[in-house]
Amino acid sequence: MTDHIANGTLTTLEAEHEEAARHRAAAERGDAPLLPSERLWGFWEFTYANSALAIATWAFLIGGAIGLFVGPKEGIAAIVIGNIVGVVLTALATTTMSGRYGVEQFIALRSQFGYNGSRVVYVLAVVVLTMGWLAVLAMMFGRSIDGLMALSAGEAANPTGIKMIIAAVGAILVTWFIVARGPTSIKFFNMVVSPALVILMVVMLYLILSHHSFGELLAMPALSPPFEDKTLNFIVAVEVNLAAGFSWWPYIGNLARLTKNERTAFWPNILGIFGAAALGEIVGLLAAVALGESDPTIWMTKIAGPVIGIIALLFVAFANMTSMANILYTSIVGLRQVGTASVRAISWGTVLFLFCLIPLGLVVVYPQMYDGFFIFLVWTSALNSALAGIGIVDYFFLRGQKLDMRSLHGPQENGPYRFWAGFNPIGLFALAVGCIVYVAVFNPQTLASLPAFKYLTASLPAFVAAGAVHYVLTRLFARGRGWGQYP
Amino acid sequence: MENDTAWQNELARRARIYEDIEASGRFEGTMSALDYAAVTALTLVLVVAFWIWGA
Repeated sequence: MTDHIANGTLTTLEAEHEEAARHRAAAERGDAPLLPSERLWGFWEFTYANSALAIATWAFLIGGAIGLFVGPKEGIAAIVIGNIVGVVLTALATTTMSGRYGVEQFIALRSQFGYNGSRVVYVLAVVVLTMGWLAVLAMMFGRSIDGLMALSAGEAANPTGIKMIIAAVGAILVTWFIVARGPTSIKFFNMVVSPALVILMVVMLYLILSHHSFGELLAMPALSPPFEDKTLNFIVAVEVNLAAGFSWWPYIGNLARLTKNERTAFWPNILGIFGAAALGEIVGLLAAVALGESDPTIWMTKIAGPVIGIIALLFVAFANMTSMANILYTSIVGLRQVGTASVRAISWGTVLFLFCLIPLGLVVVYPQMYDGFFIFLVWTSALNSALAGIGIVDYFFLRGQKLDMRSLHGPQENGPYRFWAGFNPIGLFALAVGCIVYVAVFNPQTLASLPAFKYLTASLPAFVAAGAVHYVLTRLFARGRGWGQYP
Repeated sequence: MENDTAWQNELARRARIYEDIEASGRFEGTMSALDYAAVTALTLVLVVAFWIWGA
């Protein structure tokens, strides 16, 4: 009799444990807010995770692109100025609320854009950005392999040739295969690649400084300045770095929700994201200008000679695959979170493959995208800077840093974040205004700009315009209509 | 349906925990005015210093 009761109690306890574990796993995936006791990352853990994300091969690419516009002295200044402003504003817009409430970033976004509006923002900000980066990184992989084969055979590389395209297509397909197997394989690559990239950066920096003194490097000219006006070239370089700083908008909020509190969600971004990205970009910039070549897959072979060059290129190819796997995995997890029931019904492997089709098309049809990748990066800032402006205004100034977890996670159809058919017209209009202001001040495609661009950049006016429009229209119209539960 | 009810209860439990923390002002490690002043000062110092040095 006693045994029966004991067994029954044990079974009930086991069932409760299982249910608690299921709920916690669902909260980790973003379906519910993580409780303070469930969040494990302190300051250094988050700094390490941030650094691992920021130290990627794209830092070499951005640094090299800066070398096209300005010399190393102006370039280092532009890297620091653009990145610190972009990262601080992005972190304020995303990590403070995630760190306080443990809420998934795109669920929190329902309070700014409505439950359907947040889906639109997800597609624009995450899907487009990730597809573009997947294509660029795959092409960088392809160029590394092409350079490797050319170096081994003693021939000249052909960076847009058929070998590059085949290797890039292969990179996307292998990435699809890795991510389809789940997150465990990605974690393994991360543990190896991030520290190894730091070593690669130090070796590259040592090799550069063994050929040129720091003073000589600082005095070198830009590779291909687009304008005669040096201030304009400098501001374009600052703008590219602002875009790099703002480009963390889709990713850091969801990392910050794993931290213990608001402070540990915010400050590590300064050390991890800003510090690590700036270091990688500066190495890329110095190497590009010293060797007269902005493409890392070419300057690495020039600086390091055939043997170390082959090792460096192999490693860059490997590191690119890791970055691709990271961003693909994060995007698809988020896509299933914001997606409709029909999207969630598609199998993991199939949705991954469908997502890879556009990057595959870009690699085959538009391999020239790689050389102008900074144009694509700057385009994303038109959106990300406006999103940061709206995020800061909504969370800090309109809501007084208070979010309603019950309404954000409960049924949405009749909830306060329904706005108008699930869309907040004010937030979406403010976003459109921010983007229009950006393109009016500075056209990323043609580099044409208004005179104000030299003094204000384009990201900052877009940030301010979107925030101001969102604030004024919300104060005027949202409360009266009962939209969004504004206090 | 049972699972759905259990999940809705779990969501309500988590929301209630945050409501209690908020009501009693027990949020730990919140960003203070000093944090915001420090990050503003850091940003301004870096921007001005590197502008003067590099631009």
